[in-house]
Amino acid sequence: MALPRECRLGALFLVAGIATATLYFLFPSSGTAQAAIYDTIGGFAVVGILWGIRTYQPRPVRPWIVFAVGNALFVAGDAVVDLYPNATSPSAADVLYLSAYPLFALSVVMMLIASEGHRSGGTLVDAGIVTLAFAVFQWIFVMQPAIHGDGTLSQKIIYGLHPAMDIVLLSGYASFFGSPAWRTPAFMLLVAGFVAQLVGDEAVGLSTARYQEGRWVDFTWMLSYVFWGAAALIPSMKELTVPRRVSTVLFSRWRVGVLAGALLTVPIALVVAHARGDSIGIYEVSALAAAITLLVVSRLSGVLRTMERIRMRERNARWLAEDTQKLLADQNERLLEADRLKDEFVALISHDLRTPLTSIIGYVELALDASLSPTLDKERRGYLQIVARNSDRLVRLVDDLLFVARVQAGRLILEPAELDLSELVRQAVDEARPRAEQGGLEMSFDANGPVLIEGDRGRLSQLLDNLISNALKFTHPGGRVELRVESSSDGVLLDVNDTGIGLPPGDTERIFERFFRTRNAVAEQIPGTGLGLFIARAIAEAHGGSISASSRAEGGTTFRILLPLRAESTVDPDAAELLV
Amino acid sequence: MTVRTVLVVEDDEDILALVTKRLRLDGYEVVEARDGEEALELARERQPTIAVLDLGLPGIDGLEVLRRIRADDELNGMLVVLLTARAQEADVRRGFDAGADAYVRKPFSPTKLSESVSELVKRQASGTA
Repeated sequence: MALPRECRLGALFLVAGIATATLYFLFPSSGTAQAAIYDTIGGFAVVGILWGIRTYQPRPVRPWIVFAVGNALFVAGDAVVDLYPNATSPSAADVLYLSAYPLFALSVVMMLIASEGHRSGGTLVDAGIVTLAFAVFQWIFVMQPAIHGDGTLSQKIIYGLHPAMDIVLLSGYASFFGSPAWRTPAFMLLVAGFVAQLVGDEAVGLSTARYQEGRWVDFTWMLSYVFWGAAALIPSMKELTVPRRVSTVLFSRWRVGVLAGALLTVPIALVVAHARGDSIGIYEVSALAAAITLLVVSRLSGVLRTMERIRMRERNARWLAEDTQKLLADQNERLLEADRLKDEFVALISHDLRTPLTSIIGYVELALDASLSPTLDKERRGYLQIVARNSDRLVRLVDDLLFVARVQAGRLILEPAELDLSELVRQAVDEARPRAEQGGLEMSFDANGPVLIEGDRGRLSQLLDNLISNALKFTHPGGRVELRVESSSDGVLLDVNDTGIGLPPGDTERIFERFFRTRNAVAEQIPGTGLGLFIARAIAEAHGGSISASSRAEGGTTFRILLPLRAESTVDPDAAELLV
Repeated sequence: MTVRTVLVVEDDEDILALVTKRLRLDGYEVVEARDGEEALELARERQPTIAVLDLGLPGIDGLEVLRRIRADDELNGMLVVLLTARAQEADVRRGFDAGADAYVRKPFSPTKLSESVSELVKRQASGTA
């Protein structure tokens, strides 16, 4: 695995540090060489931390400064021990060492606060439980023997304070697990350094003999220097103080394991101490056990509160969901009602428009009947013919609008039957021919024999009328309109081809949209509603077919309709009830 | 040639007058009704050959009038042309199911209506002859 470039310095420090610490055992015990190696590693740890602070500029910087000072005090203590190897406790070295521990604990607590990890109350209580359990252990197995062992009173105090400082250190690191940055390598290195420190301290504390230089525990202490120095030399060191959102953690498996271990510490320690005949310090242990109990109770009530809060949130969410569902159902009902009203409206309008149109068309026809009105002069006859023509247009518009309304409501219903498409097209062409000739256009139809399809005769005629009317409308006198029917194994092809004004490029799709009219059509003032091709497409698609348009640069348009040989029947007996 | 009687049932005065005018011009005797009750009453009284019946009538609607005509032994033989502004396929089918002989959709050309009526009458005359 390739190491990220920016981590190389920290890794180098780590490897070089461990290698140097190993060299320590090649030299005579308690010699100058060992002292030099030990002090060099400590010194490099301090330099490494300061270098890391300078390089990565953590914000706030204070926790790291406090951490560096703690390390410096340790190194100073080491140096004093090396300079005065025979000094008895209490010595200057004791003072330096003992004052370093609270600084280490303080530095990680400051990092925790900077990262807002202290807001995770449960974690702090857990840290308290672990710390108190450790305190019970330290008290029974390390501090009690030290207090009751040999030495002057001040020596006993010093011997008791060293293990007490480990409790302080643990309290800091245990709370540090509330840090949101606990997955970062810098965090892990800091904790590794702490573990190494603690292992060394406990090894010394638990052994009955007093510490002598040159033993393996020195290695653990040197390791802790190396880990701490390396922690400051990797980029993630600055993430330890970055505020992050703390997610609510109830209990992970390892957390439960650690807490169970902590809670079991008191009874196990008591039994072991009793079996060994150690003095226990019953009041102190009871006080610590009581404190642990209180913390457990507070932790439990915190968990219950959290669960209650989650339950409330869940209930609120459920209520909200129910309300929303009800609202949706209401809206759906209202939409259905609106849909029904629209259908009724369309039916009503249809009826109400057709009734007056019946009178207009009927009376105009009577008025134009030459046998009834022989005295009607030419000018007035012309006027009435215009009324008649426009009434017809209005009827077509009403029909088209109703048709579109039906298509949009998804209620275009086909009544398919087997029919000869060639014959149908021929009829449409024959009907349109007088109109074409009036406009000076030539019409032709080409088909090789009958083409049988399954289709709705009325609808297909409507489609043909729309396409033919369009072709006639958009072709100047002298032009041609050609229709062609061709069948293949895939289906039936119907082309309506004209030599008209053509389509602007880019409009070949849009012309099938409802109410769309091309710029050409508007510019040449060719009347239309923009519904004909929408209807044509709806009919083609209802038959399971398709329609497309293409236009040539020199003018002229071809509409191509593809129909399957057998249209899927879309007759729906319920839908057929719609009255329009 | 006997003068045939046509019953025209239509609630819109203008359309009623229009249909009446056209049919009278074509030589029919026309009886006018403005609702379903009146139509049935006049049908029994005058025994017309053919009725031009609007579907959208106040009170009993046209379809119901048609059903009563077909259910009545006396009126059963009368020809019926339906007239409606609602032109859905479903209406056409329902009209024929109820026993209509022809169907004209509004708006219509009076001449075309007159032609439909004549054709039906002629067909019935040749059928019974």
